[in-house]
Amino acid sequence: MKHKLSFLLIALTIFSLILAGCAPQPTPTAVVEQPAQTEAPQATEAPQMTEAPATEAPQITETTVAEEPAAPSGEPIKIGFFSPTTGFAAADGTSALQSAQLAVKIVNERGGVLGRPLELVYYDDAAKPDQASAIARKLIEQDKVVAAISGSYSGATRAAAPIFQEAGIPMLAAYAIHPEITKTGNMIYRIGTLATTQGRVGAELVGKVMNLKKVAILTIDNDFGISLTEGFKQHAAEIGLEIVLEEKYPLGETEFRPIIGKIKASGAEVVYATGYYNEAANLVSQARDEGLEIPIIGQEGYDSPKFIELAGEAAEGVIITTDLNRDSERPMTRLFLEQYEATYGEKADMVGASAFDAIMVLAYAINTAGSTDPLAIVKAISELKNFEDVASGPFWYYTPEREVVRPISSQIVRNGAFHLYHEFTDEALVKP
Amino acid sequence: MLVLQNLSNALILACTYILMAAGLTMVYGVLKVLHIAHASVYTVGAFVGVLAFSRVGNFWVALAIAMLVSGVFGVLIYRSTYFYLLNSPRTVPLIASVGMFVMFTDLLQKPFLMGAYQRAFPAGGAGLPAIKTALFSFTPKQVLILLVAIILLAIVYLILTRTKLGLSWQAASMDREMASAVGINLNQSIAANFFLGSALAGAAGVLVGVYNNSVFATMGDLPSYKAFIIIVLGGMGSLPGAILASLILAIVENFLVASIGYVLPRDSIAFLVLILMLMFRPNGLLGRE
Repeated sequence: MKHKLSFLLIALTIFSLILAGCAPQPTPTAVVEQPAQTEAPQATEAPQMTEAPATEAPQITETTVAEEPAAPSGEPIKIGFFSPTTGFAAADGTSALQSAQLAVKIVNERGGVLGRPLELVYYDDAAKPDQASAIARKLIEQDKVVAAISGSYSGATRAAAPIFQEAGIPMLAAYAIHPEITKTGNMIYRIGTLATTQGRVGAELVGKVMNLKKVAILTIDNDFGISLTEGFKQHAAEIGLEIVLEEKYPLGETEFRPIIGKIKASGAEVVYATGYYNEAANLVSQARDEGLEIPIIGQEGYDSPKFIELAGEAAEGVIITTDLNRDSERPMTRLFLEQYEATYGEKADMVGASAFDAIMVLAYAINTAGSTDPLAIVKAISELKNFEDVASGPFWYYTPEREVVRPISSQIVRNGAFHLYHEFTDEALVKP
Repeated sequence: MLVLQNLSNALILACTYILMAAGLTMVYGVLKVLHIAHASVYTVGAFVGVLAFSRVGNFWVALAIAMLVSGVFGVLIYRSTYFYLLNSPRTVPLIASVGMFVMFTDLLQKPFLMGAYQRAFPAGGAGLPAIKTALFSFTPKQVLILLVAIILLAIVYLILTRTKLGLSWQAASMDREMASAVGINLNQSIAANFFLGSALAGAAGVLVGVYNNSVFATMGDLPSYKAFIIIVLGGMGSLPGAILASLILAIVENFLVASIGYVLPRDSIAFLVLILMLMFRPNGLLGRE
C-alpha cells in the first residue's frame, strides 16, 4: 500500500516535470538567408514596383530606378527573429517564420538594405516567456542584431520587449496584440492592430454594420482574448449593445457543447467569440451541430485557411475582423499571398502577413535612416506615412504610442474562402 | 432537456476517454508500467488514420489500417524498451516512457511527418444517421463514436473473459513469474496485450480526430495525463473501474462547465478529482487492496 502511494507520487512528480518543462531549450539554429546574389530581379515583381506612387514610398522608387537592382554585398545586416516553431503554437510560429524568410528574400532581390544583404537570425521560443527573454539577450549580446521582430504570442513578446528596450535595440511585435507591449518604451513598435482597437471594431461591426443588439461574448482566457473583449465591451456600451451572456474558456479547449447550450438559452442574436483558429473551428462546427444558427463574429485569431479547412461547411457565414484583406488588389498583398503559396505550398494567413510586414517596415526604416543606428531606425518608423510596401496595409501612420493606424477590414467566409465584408476606414474608429 | 443533452454529449466524451484508458489499463495490468507513450500511439493512430482516409476515402478502412499500425507501433515500443526494463524498479520504465513520449511528439512535429499545422479529418459521420429525439440528439459523428466504442469494448470484453489469451493476461497481472512457471508464453502474451491496447489507442486517436476534425502532432499531450488520471481513479489496472472513471470525469467536466462555466480549465478538473480520490479512496473506485 505504502509502496503504491509513493510510486504514484513519484509518477506525479515526473509528470509535472514534463508538463512544465518538456519544451526544448532555445536551439541556436540561426537560419541564414542567403541573398540571391546572381539572380536577376523577378519579372513578376516589376509591375508592382513601378505602380507605387513616388511620394508614398521613396525607398521603392530608389530600387526601381535601376532596372536591375545591384546585388547586395558586404557585411549582412542582421535582424533578430523569434517565433514558436515547436509546442502548441507551432503553426503560427511556422507561418510567421516562413513569411519573414519570404520578406527577407524579396528585400534582398530588390538589392537589400543600404546595399547590404539582410540576414535573419532565428530562434524558437515555443511561445514561452522565459525562453523569449533568454533569446532576446542572446540576439542582443551574441548575435549583435540591428533590430528584432517578435513573431510570437503576447506573453513571450512582453517578456522580450523590456530587454530590447533596455539595450536600445528596436523591436517590432508582429501579431502579439497585448496593449502593454508597446508601452514598454520608445524602441518597441507594433505591426498588428491593438487588441482593444480590434475589439472596438468588432462591436461596431455587430451594432452598426449588422444592426444586431443582443450579444453573447465568449473570451479565450489569455492576454489576447481578454484585451479584445475589453475593447468590445467598451464600445458596446457606447453604441448600446446588450451583453446577454459572457463566458471565458481556456486556450486549447475542444469541447464547447455545454457553453453552446447556454448561449442558445440566453436569447443572444450574435456571438462574439475570441480565440484562435483551432478553438474557433471546434466552436463553430459544434455550434452548427447543436443547432445554434446565429452569426458568429471572430477576429484575426481565426484568420487562417486552416480555420476553413477544419470547420468545413460550418465556417460559411462566419465574419471576422482582421488586418489582411484577401480581396485587396494592392500589389504587395497580392505578391505576398501568391509568393507564399508558391513557396510553401500552403495558403498564407494573417500571422504570416504581420511578420512579412515587420521585415518590410524594418527594411524601409533602415534604408530611410541611411544607417543602422537604432534611434534613426525608430525615428524613420515613427515618421512613416501612407506606407504601401506591406501586405496588410496601407499603414497610414504610427501614433506617438507606437501603434499603427490603418484601415481594418472585416471578412466573411463564402464558398470556402475569406472575402471582404466591410472595410472600416473611419480614422476615429480604427485609431488606437 | 438541456440536462439530457449535456449527458449525451458527456457520454460521447467518455467514450473517447474509455478507449484511450482501456489500452493503458490493460498494459498496466500486465506490466505494471505507466505507459505514458501510449499517448504517442494515439497520435500516430490519428495520423495514420487521416493519411489512409485521404488515400482510400473510406472511414472504416482507414480505421482498420490505423488500428493495425498503432498496434504494431505499440508492440515495437514494448519490444524495444519495456522488454529490457521489466526487472528494473518501476520508475525506470516510467521515465523511459516519458522520454519516448516527448521524443515521438517532437519527431511527429517535424515537417516530413505531421508538421506544425493541424490537418482536417473530414470523415463526417461515415454515412451514419443522426439520432434526434425531443429530449436529446446525437449528431452522425457522435453516433459513429458511440458505435465504434461499443463494438471495440465488446470485443475486448470477449477476449478478456472468453479466450485463453485473456486468461493469460489475468494470470500475468497476478504474478508474472508464476504465470510463466505454469507454461504461459509471457512474451507472446504481453506482445498481444500491447497490440490490442495500442490498437484501441489508435482507434481513440482516429475518433477524436474525426470528432474535432483535426489531427496534429501535439494532440497526445492532453490524453497523456488524462488517461493516466483515469486509470488511477478507476483503480490501477481495473477495466470496469477505468470505464466508470471515464464516465464520471466526462460528466463532471460537462456539467461543471455548463453550470458555472470554465472557472478553471476544463482539463484541470481531472487533477482536482484525482487529488480528492487520493485523499479519500487511494485505491481508486474499483481497485483492490
